[in-house]
Amino acid sequence: MMGVIQQLREQAKKLLEEKKVDLVIGFGQGTELARTTPVFIDSPEGVSALTWGPFCANNLAKYLIDYKNAPGNVAVVVKGCDSRSVIRLLDDNQISRDKVVIIGVPCAGQLEWQKVAAEVKPGAGLKETADNGESFSVKTDAGDYSFNKKDYMLHRCLVCENPNPVISDITVGKELPVKNYEERFAEVSELEQMSTEEKSAYWDKQFSRCLRCYACRNVCSVCTCQVCVFDQMLPMWVSKRTNLSENTVFHITRAFHVAGRCVDCGECDRVCPMDIPLRKLNQLSPLGEFKPEDPEEFM
Amino acid sequence: MEARIVKKGQLSELLDKLAQEYDLVAPVQEETLTFFRKVSGAKDVFLEYTNSDVSPKGCFLPQNEKTFNYTYTGDSLEIVKPGDEKKTVLFGARPCDARAITTLDPVFEGEKFGDEYYSSKRENTVIIGLSCSKVLSTCFCYAFDGGPCDGTGSDLLFTEIGDKYYVEVNTEKGKVLADKYSQIFSSQGADQLAKGKEEIAKKLAGEFVRKVDLTGVKELLDDNFELPFWNGDDYKKCIGCGTCTYVCPTCHCFDIFDHTIGDFNGARFRCWDSCMYPEYTLMAGGHNPRPTRKERVRNRFMHKLKYHLDRYNMVGCVGCGRCIRKCPVNIDITKIINDLKEVAQNA
Repeated sequence: MMGVIQQLREQAKKLLEEKKVDLVIGFGQGTELARTTPVFIDSPEGVSALTWGPFCANNLAKYLIDYKNAPGNVAVVVKGCDSRSVIRLLDDNQISRDKVVIIGVPCAGQLEWQKVAAEVKPGAGLKETADNGESFSVKTDAGDYSFNKKDYMLHRCLVCENPNPVISDITVGKELPVKNYEERFAEVSELEQMSTEEKSAYWDKQFSRCLRCYACRNVCSVCTCQVCVFDQMLPMWVSKRTNLSENTVFHITRAFHVAGRCVDCGECDRVCPMDIPLRKLNQLSPLGEFKPEDPEEFM
Repeated sequence: MEARIVKKGQLSELLDKLAQEYDLVAPVQEETLTFFRKVSGAKDVFLEYTNSDVSPKGCFLPQNEKTFNYTYTGDSLEIVKPGDEKKTVLFGARPCDARAITTLDPVFEGEKFGDEYYSSKRENTVIIGLSCSKVLSTCFCYAFDGGPCDGTGSDLLFTEIGDKYYVEVNTEKGKVLADKYSQIFSSQGADQLAKGKEEIAKKLAGEFVRKVDLTGVKELLDDNFELPFWNGDDYKKCIGCGTCTYVCPTCHCFDIFDHTIGDFNGARFRCWDSCMYPEYTLMAGGHNPRPTRKERVRNRFMHKLKYHLDRYNMVGCVGCGRCIRKCPVNIDITKIINDLKEVAQNA
């Protein structure tokens, strides 16, 4: 990945030096070995903070909204999944195309940081990562590790059909082969096999855990309402009480609201502190094609 | 200080007995997560956890709490408060979380503003702490004088040593409970295990990987409400969710509202609220004194590192590391502390 990181920094530096953009949003090393954190770079000297690798799970596209009224242009580093979000934001008129420079990086998958952290010596520093097809090698100052993708990668990456960004102005790194996955909706199919009662019990169990922290909504590049219905105080459509009834209203309303627009970036699923399988909820295809005459069993 | 021994083989018996006589709240595993929940006995209790995903503060400050029911009869208003709290045992709180409860006490049990809902739960609950057996990479309780085997806040503190638990009796409340089950809490040979506990505490203390230094941080914040530091990346990357505040064992903000049923009946609730939400400080006239994420992020850390100290002479953080683990964008309080320390040094 060192080559990609180098190129990424060079491209970012060029953009900032040539004043093509005022800001580059990318990934920087986080406070855990297996985590990155969003970085906001506004000077050519700052580009050394940029990094890349299998720990760049965050979707940075949504930050573009924060700068839509800023005077200058903004560059953003995107993976394949994130690039779909950029298209969503463009289609929803949230950002204008001429103000955004998209730096696309082909992505071989992202590892779950908690799973990696459980294996690596605490406090170890990251030296280098490399993609070896079926696995990632992670070199640290406390030894070298290998993480096979099947067990350590985020679920969403296991069935990713867009390893290469679908929109970009600058591409950094080599294009990756595209695969199609018949099992992309396997988890949803499993759910569809259940009876209505079983489905209801399944989601009740999930929703009852919800803390209503709204991380799923806030991270979502489809959730762009200026005032969200769940934040309205007068009238208060949904109470602050967390119980199954209120939580269900929140999740089902949000699922309907993103239906047909969700780009399946999987961020809601990743950020949920209560591990609610929100991606599964948003993948439920009938939600995207809801018709009033649908039988009620489809949920 | 008194000490007892509980044989590991007798723990199930103890938990079953406690569940019969008290409301027993203990760690349980639900799918991939650990929560503190009311349990019916030892069979539900999950002890192989490093720490729960949400802190046990909810025992004293539940996320949802009905404070009273009301009925308006035309000429009078009838208010019915919930009955007395049940006798409760909170079993298995980690030292950071038990200590965190001592940071909530002055908020809800202050001389000026006593909170009967909190106090009655606090009075009726015995806290049995459980020393850690593992230090996570996100742990930093040592920075606030805590430790993996620290007994602050625990009425009884259990520390696993081989096939026994070494039990420190820290309060009168704890002693009463230990005496009540004296067949399980044996006094014999307890003192000889004290050294073993010290060794475990020492070993674990050496496993912290986060360096956290608060030198000069409070003084810096005292003198500077506005700091260029707050214009940095931390607020820019914050997505404004409430995860950090809801998983935090010391955050205690709540909102109060009425849930009306029909015209004359209803109930008043208080529920957790988060200073990360825009509407938290939204005034009736539409003004918001913390209009952007910058002010909200600053407030969270000012509260932890300054305001709580100003008010109660206690840091509003216990180093449990939950906010670090759960933050979607890796905002890290230890980094913020260390960055502020650097700002203070260079000032």
